[in-house]
Amino acid sequence: MDTTTAQSPQAASTRRTGWSLSRRLGTAGVTLVVVVALWHVLTAVTGFISPARFATPAEVWGALQQIAGDGYSNGRLHQHVLRSVLLVTMGFTFAASVGVVLGLAMGASRRVEAFVNPIFLVLRPIPPLAWIPLAIVWLGLGDAAKMMVIFVSAFVPSVINSYTGVRQIDKPLFEAAAMLDVTGWRYWREVLIPGALPSIFTGLRLSLQASWTTLVAAELVGAITGLGQILNQAAQDIYPAMILVGMISVAICGWAMTAALAWIERRAMPWRTLQ
Amino acid sequence: MAVIQFQHVGRVFRQNGKEFVALKDINFEVGDREFVAVVGPSGCGKTTCMRMAAGLEHPTDGEVKVDSEIVTQPGPDRAVVFQQFALFPWKTVWDNIDFGLRSLRVDTEERKRRIEQIIALMGLGGYEQAFPHQLSGGMQQRVAIARAYVLDPKVLLMDEPFGALDAQTRVVMQEELVRLARKNPRTVLFITHAVEEAVYLADRIVVMSRRPGSIREIIDVKTVRETENWDAHTCIEDVMDLPSFVHLRTHVWKLLREQQLGDEH
Repeated sequence: MDTTTAQSPQAASTRRTGWSLSRRLGTAGVTLVVVVALWHVLTAVTGFISPARFATPAEVWGALQQIAGDGYSNGRLHQHVLRSVLLVTMGFTFAASVGVVLGLAMGASRRVEAFVNPIFLVLRPIPPLAWIPLAIVWLGLGDAAKMMVIFVSAFVPSVINSYTGVRQIDKPLFEAAAMLDVTGWRYWREVLIPGALPSIFTGLRLSLQASWTTLVAAELVGAITGLGQILNQAAQDIYPAMILVGMISVAICGWAMTAALAWIERRAMPWRTLQ
Repeated sequence: MAVIQFQHVGRVFRQNGKEFVALKDINFEVGDREFVAVVGPSGCGKTTCMRMAAGLEHPTDGEVKVDSEIVTQPGPDRAVVFQQFALFPWKTVWDNIDFGLRSLRVDTEERKRRIEQIIALMGLGGYEQAFPHQLSGGMQQRVAIARAYVLDPKVLLMDEPFGALDAQTRVVMQEELVRLARKNPRTVLFITHAVEEAVYLADRIVVMSRRPGSIREIIDVKTVRETENWDAHTCIEDVMDLPSFVHLRTHVWKLLREQQLGDEH
C-alpha cells in the first residue's frame, strides 16, 4: 500500500464521536426531571428546606406566570429579557469589535504594542464592577452607564486573546506568507485573522460571560427594567420565588447567547470541525 | 549561467560581546536547471545558506545573488519548501496551492490550469478540498512542493523537506522528486543531512563542515549518474546497490566522518 495516501476526507468527516444528539437531550431531560422532583420533595413535601427561604417549584411556576402575564417590576418577562439581551448584545458587540481589532494590531505591530501595553497594564487590574460608580457619575443611571460598564469588562478579554492569537501563529507560516508575497489586506484577512481565530473566539466567549456578569450587577444598582432589576425588586419584596425566576432567566439567556456564539464559531472555522 | 551565487558569504553572530562565526567564506554556484544538494552535520549552517538565498536571513559578509541580483527579501521567485511544511491550516489543498499564484496576479483560467496540472503531477487528485490536518505527513509535503512548483519560480529552495517523514514515505517522496526533477528540471538548492538522499537526488553535492561552517568539497554526481545510467532504474534501492552509487556515498560519508573525528580530538 502506498504509505503516503491519507484516509479520504469524506470518510473522516462522517465519523461521529460520542453520543448522538437525541440520546444526550434525553439524558439531560431525565436529569432535569430528577432535580425538580428532588426540589419538590425537599421543599413542599418534607419541608426539609423552609419554603420561606427557598421557594417550591409550584411557587416558582406561579411567579413565572405572574411576571409573564401581569408583569412585575415595571414590565412583563419578555420586556425584561429583551432589554437585558439588547444591552448585552450591543455592549458586547461594540467592545468585542474594538477589542479584537486592537488586539490584532498589537499582535501584528511591535509599535502599537509598545504604545498600548502600558495603558493596559494600569487599567487591567481594576475589576470591571469598580467602574460602576464612575459610570453612574458620568452617565447617570440609564443605559449609557450600563453600556460603559459592559464595554470595560468585555473589552479586556477580547484584546488579550486576539493579541495572544496572533503571537501563537507558527513562525514558518509568517515566512511562508512572506515567500508567497502575501501583503496588505490579504495578509490580515487570510493569514493573521484566521490564524488567530481560535484564540479570538476564546476571548469572545470570556467577553460574553463578563458582559452578562456586569450587566446583572449594573442592573442591581439601578434600572427600570431588566433581569437584574427583577432580582433587585424581588429582594426588596422578600419574594424568593421571583428571585428564582430572575436567576433562571439570567441562566437561560446567558446559555442561549453562549450557544449562539458557539454556533458562529463552528461555522467560522470549518477546518477545525472536520476531523 | 549561474542562477544562485554565493560569493564569499559569511555570517557572524554576536552574543554577550562574544563573536561566533557560523559561516565562513562560502563560495558556490547553482547553475540553470541544476539540482545542488548541501550536506553537512547539524550546526554547520546549511539551513542558514538556504534561508539567505530565500531572503529570510542575511549574510554579514559577502553576497548571495539570485539571477545576478542581491537577495534582500523573500519572494515568490524563490519558492521555499519548509521542513515542517508550513501549510495554512485554514486553507484547503487547492487554496494553499493557489495562494501564491494570486500574489503573482495570474489570471483565473491560467491559475486553474496550472493548479490542476500540478495536482495531477503530485498525485493529489481527489484531495483538492481537504484541509492539511486531514492529510498524512507525506501528502502534506506533496502539497507544499506543489505550492512551490506551481509558482514556476526561478529557484526552488528545499530545507530538509523529507526530514519530518517516516522512512517508507521518505523513499516514495524521494523517488517522486527524482521523477519530477528529471521530467521538469528546475534550479534547486536542496538542504539535507541524509547522505544517500543527496547522492540519489543531486547533480552536485556541496559537503560542508562546521566550526566554522565552511565548504569541505564539491562533488559532481551528474557525470557519474549519466555514464552509469542510474535513471534506468525506477526504484531507489536498485540505484543504491550500484557500485558507482556506493562509491560516491562512501566518499561523502568519509568526508563527514573525518569532521566527526576532528571534533572529538
